[in-house]
Amino acid sequence: MLTTIVHFVTSACRAALHHSALRMATPLMLLIATVTATSCHSIEEWDNDPTGNFEALWTILDEHYCFFAEKDIDWREVHDRYAAKVSDRMTSKELFYVCADMLNELRDGHTNLSAGFNTSYYRNWWSDYPENYSARLIEQHYLNFNYLTVGGIDYAILPQNIGYLRYSSFSASIGQGTLDDILLYFAPCDGLIIDIRDNGGGAMTNVETLVRRFITRRTLAGYISHKTGPGHNDFSEPFPYYFEPADAGRIMWGKPTVVLTSRGTFSAANNFVSIMQYIPGVTIVGARTGGGSGMPFNSELPNGWGVRFSACSVLDPKGETTEFGIDPTPGCAVDLDPQAALLGRDTILDFAVGLLTK
Amino acid sequence: MHPRRLIISLIALAACLTSSASGAATADTESLPADSVLRPVNSHFTLSVGRASIINTYLTPLRYHGSSGRVGYDRSQAFRHCPDRLIHTLDLGMEVGRTDNPAMTNRLWRLSGDFTAGLLYRWRLPYSVTLAAGTSSSVNLGVVYSPRNGNNPVAVEASATVNATAAAMWHGSLLGRRVTVTYRPTLPVVGVFFSPDYGELFYEISLGNHAGLAHLAWWPTYFRMTNLLTADIMLGATEVRLGFRSDILSTRVNNITTRVATAEGVVGLGGDWLSLNPRRSLSPQARIISATY
Repeated sequence: MLTTIVHFVTSACRAALHHSALRMATPLMLLIATVTATSCHSIEEWDNDPTGNFEALWTILDEHYCFFAEKDIDWREVHDRYAAKVSDRMTSKELFYVCADMLNELRDGHTNLSAGFNTSYYRNWWSDYPENYSARLIEQHYLNFNYLTVGGIDYAILPQNIGYLRYSSFSASIGQGTLDDILLYFAPCDGLIIDIRDNGGGAMTNVETLVRRFITRRTLAGYISHKTGPGHNDFSEPFPYYFEPADAGRIMWGKPTVVLTSRGTFSAANNFVSIMQYIPGVTIVGARTGGGSGMPFNSELPNGWGVRFSACSVLDPKGETTEFGIDPTPGCAVDLDPQAALLGRDTILDFAVGLLTK
Repeated sequence: MHPRRLIISLIALAACLTSSASGAATADTESLPADSVLRPVNSHFTLSVGRASIINTYLTPLRYHGSSGRVGYDRSQAFRHCPDRLIHTLDLGMEVGRTDNPAMTNRLWRLSGDFTAGLLYRWRLPYSVTLAAGTSSSVNLGVVYSPRNGNNPVAVEASATVNATAAAMWHGSLLGRRVTVTYRPTLPVVGVFFSPDYGELFYEISLGNHAGLAHLAWWPTYFRMTNLLTADIMLGATEVRLGFRSDILSTRVNNITTRVATAEGVVGLGGDWLSLNPRRSLSPQARIISATY
């Protein structure tokens, strides 16, 4: 039987090769078959069990997380310590908390593990510090609950003829027309206070929209350095990025400006401070910001859990990291005094008003 | 290689291949008056539905599975020069894929458009078999979208390639109907394709960092093979197309691996059509040269 098959195949090949067209086509077909068999690129895959999911999570962070060096984290040692806590007999929730604890070792507010029942979150970056902000305090004692609100921005003119702008989240989009209206409203003021305490960030594009009203020429906004490979030191050369002034015809702001910050000023809000601190006429008042200068990436585990982590480092205009926060302008570090707050005073806001009315 | 230089090289290569094919064609048609050859266009509109598998490590390390569909149009015609030997082909299509991760907690959407123009040299063999081989150029543009991702929600597919293309056709009859069975593989050989760097965000690209986005496409970095097996059954003047289409795409560059595989059943309608100028009479020597016969 085998001899018959071999004879048939040999005869068929000989007959085929006899024809010139097939003689040309045969090497091509062999080439195609070889290439098809060898060209698919391999990927690393994990089993959907506690060990597989743990290893997937650790590997994703190992290959993509961008602050191991800055934070002096021995990620291999972290693996060994937490891998010992993982067993294939553990429940999904038990695994979640082991994995969440491992992620907390990164001390990163941009790093979360998301399952159907919970999202892990490293809170110590702000919970270990004074809040330094009370919305009620300002709304009641400074604004008398009488202020304008538009597109995520609250604003009013304080009795000292200082404009007060509260922007609580960079997730709220800022319209160009809205900014024109607000800045026009502030036109008679002697100065402007931008309050971004407890602003947890949002979209970087909103940072650009706002900063463009305070610059008069093309301005270096910072640098971005991304990972170029899975190694802990595989980073691109920092790429400088610039902001242009707002388009002609837009309302600009050139008077003295104070930006109020607290530990809760994080991520895109931190980025806003990193740029504003170098703009002439701008003073940063309050407490050290919360950092969060790594732009997050998302990935996922075989069991469907999502993971978010800092993957791309954004540096300030001097090329320095702001992952650990930005200090106020020298001489302008102020905390909110709880005793004064009980008497209706926001000591950070008072300091800023004092600066602008000197 | 600098991308601009690479693109110029590819255009030059395609022009070279095309002109050499045209040169070969001229000798066969010299004896025919210019208006004596009628070249009907064989075209089909097709709808394909099937299964898809997607891996894109820029978005996720997981393999996604689901369904895909494609709307396509193809046409072939004997080439102006050397119509007996050369066939000019055009294919374009738009494909949609909807795939889920193994835990069904996220969905990847894929939208991809492709355009291919080719020139094939054919040999008419005994037993109603025709073989053809040649080259084609393709442009592919698409996105894969992951709704759960924040700053890296999409991966972009963009490529321009020069391909090796072949076709094997058999003409016969089935239940009294004329049938043309065609197998056509297309294999990109060289080109350029787009990929961000390993951890590069599109935000950074939008800020103006366009360095290193274009990559040389050749088999170690970019492998793609499209296989199309069809049976065109004549029903009166119309052809009903039934067939199978598979597309395998595998890329690896900047430590990012992409794999897309689709396998789809094809149905379509088409036929041959011919443009005639009613103000000009046909030459008595007029001869019809089909792209498929």
